[in-house]
Amino acid sequence: MAELLQFVITGITVGMIYALIALSFVLVWKSSGVANLALGQLVLISSWFTYGMLVQAGLPLWVGFVLIILFALALGWVIERFILRPLIAQPILSLITVTLGLAYFIEGAVSFIWPKSVAALPRLFPQEPIHIGTAVVSQEYLWAAAISVALFGLLSLYFKYHKMGIAMRATADDQMAVQACGIPVTRIFSRSWMLACVLAAVGGVLMSSIGGITFGLVETGLKAFSVVILGGLNSFLGAIIAGPIIGLAENLGGGYLTPLTWPGVKEVIPFIIIIIVMFLKPYGLFGEVRIERI
Amino acid sequence: MDLPAGTRNYTYAQDMAIFRTKTHWAMLLALLVILFTAPLYWGNHWLSVANLIGITIIAATGLNILTGYCGQLSIGHAGFIAVGAYTSAVLTNRLELPFIVGLLAAGIIAGLIGLIFGTPSVRVKGFYLAISTIAAQFILIWVINHWTSVTGGFRGISVPPASIGGMIFVSQSSQFYLILVITVLVVFLAKNLARTRVGRAFVAIRDNDLAAEVMGINLFRYKLLAFFIGCFLAGIAGSLLAHWIGFLNAENFSIMDSILYIGIIIIGGLGTTTGPIFGVIFIRMLQQGITFIAPVLESTFALPAGFTTGIGPMVFGLAIVLFLILEPRGLAHRWQLFKASYRLWPFSY
Repeated sequence: MAELLQFVITGITVGMIYALIALSFVLVWKSSGVANLALGQLVLISSWFTYGMLVQAGLPLWVGFVLIILFALALGWVIERFILRPLIAQPILSLITVTLGLAYFIEGAVSFIWPKSVAALPRLFPQEPIHIGTAVVSQEYLWAAAISVALFGLLSLYFKYHKMGIAMRATADDQMAVQACGIPVTRIFSRSWMLACVLAAVGGVLMSSIGGITFGLVETGLKAFSVVILGGLNSFLGAIIAGPIIGLAENLGGGYLTPLTWPGVKEVIPFIIIIIVMFLKPYGLFGEVRIERI
Repeated sequence: MDLPAGTRNYTYAQDMAIFRTKTHWAMLLALLVILFTAPLYWGNHWLSVANLIGITIIAATGLNILTGYCGQLSIGHAGFIAVGAYTSAVLTNRLELPFIVGLLAAGIIAGLIGLIFGTPSVRVKGFYLAISTIAAQFILIWVINHWTSVTGGFRGISVPPASIGGMIFVSQSSQFYLILVITVLVVFLAKNLARTRVGRAFVAIRDNDLAAEVMGINLFRYKLLAFFIGCFLAGIAGSLLAHWIGFLNAENFSIMDSILYIGIIIIGGLGTTTGPIFGVIFIRMLQQGITFIAPVLESTFALPAGFTTGIGPMVFGLAIVLFLILEPRGLAHRWQLFKASYRLWPFSY
């Protein structure tokens, strides 16, 4: 029973981080219709950058965090301006594959700048474990989940009340109409990429403060796709609900299925969920079913 | 544009022929003669590069039929190649069946696995399909890594050299002939496939699948056929790769390789027969150049230790991005432009 509670709490908290990374995807998809397959690599490079700032340069925590946010903003701006803007109005195949090229580039850049494959971030959160009922949970998980929830809150306020957020929602709805209203659509694209990179960076820092920095972070990014698929590609709510579901499935499955199957089953459960969702309900729980016309 | 001035057709068969003029035939013969005599004047190193190029051309041609002609993006190609490689390895190593059986079984089983993961393509496309093929890649590699009793798991599996009848293909030059013959056959079949009803149906599906369905193309059948052919060729390439390397480990088939195959067909030119060939030669030569020049640069300019491992992926990623932005039709299109210009030279107006 203690085991079950443990799996549930870990699953939900990790799932919140997945949801945060998935949100980064949904943001770009909604506003510009680009499928960002470099998500895992964005998570990876921002975690390594944090490592570079906090450990290698030895900066204090708060300076490091300001720098990592600035880095993520700059990264998002550069990606949008130099890679995706030349491809506006190209077929979806090009838009997907260009992010694959970007993924390849970032992975190369990471192994160029940080040749070692494993590193640990300094402790960001208090260490002593907390007892919830019979389960023992390390505080990092709870902090990570709390930060994710706080960010969801901030984001939903941003989209509801801030002018830019409203403009982003409008762009997601109808690009032509938005342009006719005099809103610069390219600036919206740019902002949404910047915001998406910040979300990926925060997700990456939270993830690597728990599990250390490895190439497994790329897989974390890919697991976020299962959140996106399950929740529906263009639904913020879907991402937030599907995140904990994936986290739960991963941890419960990893806990109870490993003796029955092979070790490491935890790692593929999100991918098996993707295939199941594809067969049963391809547009996800809250996704919009596209109606096509010739 | 494609033919020299003054080429006339008198029959339909003439019009449809792939090789039209005497020059075409002469150049084809010259190319084949050069290729089949290559082991006489290429060293062992370049022969092994040529073997790798041949195997990659087979795999890339499969992906090109699936993605370039039929428009179904697959980012799990390395996973399907792995299925073929391990099928062939298990059949020839553990069951001691002949190589030919292993080769065909590799193709068929990879094709069938491709059908399973290709089924969602009937309802979804674009990003959704890309994600489900990524999922296929991870699930397949996980099964290979953990089904230790059959695949050898993380320890890997050794593969006996290919043999047909009494011939055993051990040396690079003997394998070169094996791979060359299969590569030429595959390219020839791919070229002809694109000109048949099936190929035209694929192109129709790529350009607008709804319109294609209205025209009477059975989407379910043709999309799955594209997956089967694409993954069949991946399986064949995997089997050849297994017998060429002699030892298999799932690390040879990572997601980055799948992305590299996508990059190859984009750089070469989607939906052309020559595209995969150009793309493969470009990428493999780039790899050769980098493995040659990176250590030199590193020692000369005292670059950090990660330079040699990092520069390769950086250059490939950059190549993919630049080709998509600057020349989305790939090297095959450039080749067409070049041919047109030299035919008109020196009177280009």
